[in-house]
Amino acid sequence: MSVVAEVPEGVETERIGYAWAINHALAEEMRRDPRVWMMGQDIGKMGGVFGVTRGLFDEFGPTRVRDTTINETFIVGGAAGAAMTGTIPVVELQFADFGLVAGDEIFHKLAKWRYMHGGKLELPAVVRLPTGVVGGAGAEHSQSLEAMGMHVPGLKVVLPATPADAKGLLKSAIRDPNPVLFFEHKGLYRVKGEVPTSDDYLVPFGEAAVRRHGDAATVVATGLMVGRALEAADKLAADDIELEVIDPRTLVPLDMETIIASVERTGRALVVHEAVRTAGAGAEIAARIQEAAFFALDAPVWRLGALDTPIPQDPDLEQLVIPSTDQIEAAARELLAL
Amino acid sequence: MSTKTAKEAAGAAPEEDSLALDLYRQVTRIRALELLLNRYVKEHGFGGFWHPGLGQEAVQAGAVMALRREDYLYYAHRGLGYALVKGMAPEVLLGDLFGGTGGSVGGKGGGTVHFVDPELGVLGQGGTLGSNFVLGAGAATSVQILGEDRVVAVFFGDGAAARGTFHEAALQAAVWKLPIVWVCENNGWHLSAPFSAQSPTEDIADRAAAYGVPGVVVDGQDALAVRAATLAAVERARAGEGPSLVEAKTLRIRGHYEGDPQKYRDDIADGLEVPRDPLAILRERVPAAEADALDAAAAEEAEAALEKALAMPKAGPEVVTQGVWS
Repeated sequence: MSVVAEVPEGVETERIGYAWAINHALAEEMRRDPRVWMMGQDIGKMGGVFGVTRGLFDEFGPTRVRDTTINETFIVGGAAGAAMTGTIPVVELQFADFGLVAGDEIFHKLAKWRYMHGGKLELPAVVRLPTGVVGGAGAEHSQSLEAMGMHVPGLKVVLPATPADAKGLLKSAIRDPNPVLFFEHKGLYRVKGEVPTSDDYLVPFGEAAVRRHGDAATVVATGLMVGRALEAADKLAADDIELEVIDPRTLVPLDMETIIASVERTGRALVVHEAVRTAGAGAEIAARIQEAAFFALDAPVWRLGALDTPIPQDPDLEQLVIPSTDQIEAAARELLAL
Repeated sequence: MSTKTAKEAAGAAPEEDSLALDLYRQVTRIRALELLLNRYVKEHGFGGFWHPGLGQEAVQAGAVMALRREDYLYYAHRGLGYALVKGMAPEVLLGDLFGGTGGSVGGKGGGTVHFVDPELGVLGQGGTLGSNFVLGAGAATSVQILGEDRVVAVFFGDGAAARGTFHEAALQAAVWKLPIVWVCENNGWHLSAPFSAQSPTEDIADRAAAYGVPGVVVDGQDALAVRAATLAAVERARAGEGPSLVEAKTLRIRGHYEGDPQKYRDDIADGLEVPRDPLAILRERVPAAEADALDAAAAEEAEAALEKALAMPKAGPEVVTQGVWS
């Protein structure tokens, strides 16, 4: 029972942060394919409000790295228009929350225009969405809205939890012919990890990562919660209780096969996400677990998520809204006692 | 900044008889389909809302004839003239209206229209009015990045002009000098509200001044004038000088949808008469015998297209789940 090495042995890596891994993915894909370009607010000389696009303006110039005005409907709708006319836009919204300003463009144009037009239009666009709590950003800058992407067919939904996945999944997103909502966690930007240096390092969509092997219970966690679930698992390991921790990495497509195989071995499942618990992605995952593995379950499928409240502005209070490592540990212990 | 009068624009129109004849051909083709659909919907009903464009044919024909085949088009919801003039076959357009598999979207159509033909640059229309603005600006950004010689035409009505998406797209397009022509079909009605009740100014073209781009008003019943004004805007866009707005003043003859009782309206009779009929205006420029022949050919084309469209099989249940993903 052990933590799984994220990068296969023998692969050349460098130790860099999650934000820098995203930056490398952008640079590599823009070098590879002249059709790839970017736009967003302050992504040019400034390098973005979180510094993710630093240096790209200098390398690729103002035609392919475009600063926009404050106009989310254009950033996303323009991406849709550009995608259907032969380029591959990778656009940045300053906060995932601002995607709601461009709701029509995300949920109607990107999600539906291929379908509506009999498959004659292609929409290879990536919308980068800095998500989650970051310490005092407040109710309109801290949400985890990924379930909304799952609820409208036509959008792929990606949530990298590690620097290596941030690179490999973003490169896959840029090469995917479909629109992708790429939820990068603001609280993970500075987290460092080993990241493959290869230009061809791709993490495929629809393949969950088993972050830790165990036989006591299956914990399915996304984004920031992957790290917290692993910390909770370490605490339980001190008592010889081994949790299996699975990171789906992409919610659309969703690798239920790996999750179900695990639950069939462990008999117990806890789903953890930072998003509001009610109608979150965890509700869907829990429902699918009980549909597919009901007779393997020794206990009900449990969910942990944010409280049904907006995110408070205060950095201390905001942590009370989302699941903590201690809460994950306690939930796992309670689930195991059932 | 805005140059204003229809006469100015019309004065710039090329005088060639062949152009007038080409425009007449397109206007009468659109008219024939409008009349045919009016009749068909009355006699047989319709599986959705048909938004007729009767009376607005000169705007659609005049503006689209200022484009090249490779130029992109985001059309508006009133009528099917835009796509017809851009080169789509009438039976394909009717096929889409009736949900036939020979329609451009392979049987997913029906009702309110979403034709598409990327080869002809016909890219669609937003089901949410006003969403064309940002899509068009995005397509124009692609054109600029790829260094292509294309212009993007974005049609909209006086109602859709109210959307904030116009501002977001127009500001960015003006800053980036994107190759866009906005063609406003101002037919005087936001569904049930008269334009005058919802606009503090007489002309939408005035709004272009806020972005430092040209805005012109043109007589939307005069196809030559519309074509000339649009061509000037298209040439400006093609030269890399940025976007322009052409506002064509036209008329909504029928209801918002065919069958709309229009109880909110007392300015027009419930008929098919078109005051300041674009065909009559063009007839002053073309020989009567040729106009008659074009009318007859258009009527024949429309009837044949209807027959073909009605003969198309409907899509089976398999299409319901097709086309979500590439």
